[in-house]
Amino acid sequence: MFEIDYGSDGEVLYRGRLDAAQCAKAQSFMDEIAEARTLDFSKLEYISSAGLGILLKTQKRLAESGAALRIINVNNHIHDVFRYSGFDTIFDIEAKK
Amino acid sequence: MQRNFARNYDSLSAIYEFAEGILAQHDVTEAVRFPVHLAIEELFTNMVKYNPDSDGGIGVDVEVDNGKVTVVLTEFDVDEFDVTRPREVNIEAALDERTPGGLGLYLLQNMVDKLEYDYRDRRSRVEFTKESGQEHV
Repeated sequence: MFEIDYGSDGEVLYRGRLDAAQCAKAQSFMDEIAEARTLDFSKLEYISSAGLGILLKTQKRLAESGAALRIINVNNHIHDVFRYSGFDTIFDIEAKK
Repeated sequence: MQRNFARNYDSLSAIYEFAEGILAQHDVTEAVRFPVHLAIEELFTNMVKYNPDSDGGIGVDVEVDNGKVTVVLTEFDVDEFDVTRPREVNIEAALDERTPGGLGLYLLQNMVDKLEYDYRDRRSRVEFTKESGQEHV
């Protein structure tokens, strides 16, 4: 199961498992984002390369207007995926405390 | 334990439940389970993507022996696609130099302990093992 929605402070809340079958849902939501946003991954359990592609596409689009995504509360396993893919250098990432 | 899954992304949820059940039964740590699930998804979606017209499903076999997880994915009547071939990915590229896609097999190759590919008589067989993961505290 995967859910994506806005939190009370305008952050984007990711929840569940973002696999290739859930990418259309995530992509549709992210395509509506037009300014800098914080993505809260505290309830995100899993992400695959398909999910990384959505983040990259959004980050590149926002960069054209000087904006960027910030990702917070990233669990250790997802952080490993970011590190292996080099995404830790192109996203502002805050690990889960 | 082996099960056959329909060749589409909607199978991913059922594959996760299937593999997770076996891994949990054997008390496999989360540090191993995460990369195992990621590797299965990357291989399965790769098979769907590059042989979409094959009529057959994709077999997924998950075994655990003394903490060592072995996974085999098998498909029949497909073209050859060697997933062990090194992927050239520049993980140090700047944002404007990057394009979505192409990371899946690179991640897979870096997160499993052993990866083997065998192709004969239009049958593809991929086997990987994962024994030790980075334990996080």
